[in-house]
Amino acid sequence: MLKQDRSELDYFKLIKKANLPQPTTGPGLRIALLSDASTQHLVPLLKALFAGNGVNATLYEGAFDAIELEAYNPASGLYQFQPDFVFLIHSLGKMKSSYYAFPGDPAAFPAHMASRLEDTWKTIQEHCPAKIVQTTLVLPCERPYGHFGLKLPGTLPSAIAELNREIAIRSRAHPDVLLNDADGLAGWVGRKHFIDEKLWALSKSFCALEFLPDLAQAFVDVALAAQGRSVKCVVLDLDNTLWGGVVGDDGLEGIGLGDLDDGNAFGFFQLFLRDLARRGIILAVCSKNNEETARRVFLEHPAMVLKLEDIAVFVANWENKATNIRGIQSKLNIGFDAMVFLDDNPFERNLVRQLIPEILVPELPEDPAKYVRFLSELNLFETCTHSELDGQRNLLYQEQDQRDQVKARCQGIDEFLASLGTEAGINPFLPGNLSRIAQLIQRSNQFNLTTRRLSETECRKVMEHPAEHPAFTINLRDTFGDFGLINVVILAVRGETLEIDTFLMSCRVLQRGVEQLAMNRIFALAGELGLARVRGRYLPTAKNAMVKDFYRQFGFTLASEGEDGSAEWLLDVADYQPGTVFIRAIEPISLSEVP
Amino acid sequence: MSDPTIKQRLNQVFRDVFDRPDLEITETMTASDIKEWDSLNHVILIVATEKAFSVTFTTKDVKSLKNIGDFLALIETRVRR
Repeated sequence: MLKQDRSELDYFKLIKKANLPQPTTGPGLRIALLSDASTQHLVPLLKALFAGNGVNATLYEGAFDAIELEAYNPASGLYQFQPDFVFLIHSLGKMKSSYYAFPGDPAAFPAHMASRLEDTWKTIQEHCPAKIVQTTLVLPCERPYGHFGLKLPGTLPSAIAELNREIAIRSRAHPDVLLNDADGLAGWVGRKHFIDEKLWALSKSFCALEFLPDLAQAFVDVALAAQGRSVKCVVLDLDNTLWGGVVGDDGLEGIGLGDLDDGNAFGFFQLFLRDLARRGIILAVCSKNNEETARRVFLEHPAMVLKLEDIAVFVANWENKATNIRGIQSKLNIGFDAMVFLDDNPFERNLVRQLIPEILVPELPEDPAKYVRFLSELNLFETCTHSELDGQRNLLYQEQDQRDQVKARCQGIDEFLASLGTEAGINPFLPGNLSRIAQLIQRSNQFNLTTRRLSETECRKVMEHPAEHPAFTINLRDTFGDFGLINVVILAVRGETLEIDTFLMSCRVLQRGVEQLAMNRIFALAGELGLARVRGRYLPTAKNAMVKDFYRQFGFTLASEGEDGSAEWLLDVADYQPGTVFIRAIEPISLSEVP
Repeated sequence: MSDPTIKQRLNQVFRDVFDRPDLEITETMTASDIKEWDSLNHVILIVATEKAFSVTFTTKDVKSLKNIGDFLALIETRVRR
């Protein structure tokens, strides 16, 4: 995602930056480009943009216009490279040639071509566990039938539009095929500027040089989201951000909302934010106001789109905003780099930027009518999964607030946990849970021992091979609400040892005894399988320091430690003392999400 | 002889694109005289020149360039139009 505004994508500036030596720190990512346009101009841009996001990208350029050759040859450079991602780039220039050379009925071209693309996806996924990012086709300028051509199947504009539609529909059956909507980009900047026939003729360039950075940025956005780097929370100012004017001065009736002043613009902005909330982005309020006054707008103003129940954390006081945002962050238990702060006031923006450098603070245009356009251009909200529970996330945090209030009343932690009436469903991997499992694997950063980002396809393989990879998930609910699926454990049988390959948990359920429940389960499994010991590993990342000594509390001993801070922990099955948990385990049926 | 101000401005484009602040172009120079002038940078050079002079070259214009002298002559024709 862009951090502040689109000037970061100026081609000539970016190419200068790309020519400077890039820092090679940060997590590595292996990216293969298979393209029927030239990729030489794209590579330095991708490297620079990934480096700007702290990712050390290694790129492989497939032979020019040899997408299928690379995909279908098991010994090809593509597979030797062992990519994490394969970017599939299909240019309009080449697609036009294929269309004109198509021997059959042109009306059959879109389905024919979409099948070929889908077969390519399948073939790549049979040979390697990489995620695929497929571009859409840029719509052509040719209109041999004028506007009438859209009504006729098989004309060039119809065929390309239909092909794009087919790509989108077919991709739904492939969770690890993601899309880069190149046509969406071309349409937005203007196809007449984006399509560059001269550069195609000279160097088989995908588009005008000017827009290659945008194309590269779109790839970076999708890949980072698939790596779990996505925005989870938007922190909102109120006065002149959610409505016009200052409610403390202008009063409830005087603020710009509805038909008053530029109220309509704020209305559309709120609708956009409500869509984000329904998609699972947490909304928080951070405003300099009296709390009473600020809340009244949500409760009583008839033109307010956002309601109090859409806001997970509501902070209105006269403290400085950085302090308040730190409070919101610790309440939500997410990283600052997963938060965006929106405020019309440049002073507040700069203050927050300075005091919390990790948080994203975009500029905001002066005119609220441009807020949505501006934020959409930054593409801050890229994601690679969707689950029906996403929309309930704000509710989950409000339920947490109620729990915290009970906790404050309880004498000890045991009394509190017992009072929650917690129930857990322990399940093997189930088909209906795979997309949520993959999503949790992408999203969990802090409580994640090994941070192995398995794709949905890989999770399916785990499910299909329970003998080699015993795995389970835990769903949790209590009297206040349902957390859904919040814990994923993947094990591997290695001789006499049961190895914990993946152990991760949503940070919403820390200190509830889920860890203990899961560990009891792991040792019970090891016992059932007649294994001697359990091995746990800790692989450090920038975010998971909280679980560095995770295994110690269960009686594991440190067997070895690497220079990078990684550690291996061992415990004999015979020596394990199961801990008490205040959770009633229900198995094997799960509490929710199973069809 | 080509227009001296055009040559100066083009020289600046060359310096920017090839990141060589001391580069001095001459009419007889070709791509083989500047080691950074490969096919990748050629496209960037063309686009940067179009932008600097607010002109548009045709595909044939670009393909028929033999040396910098040709390039200067081409810019002059396009600027005059």
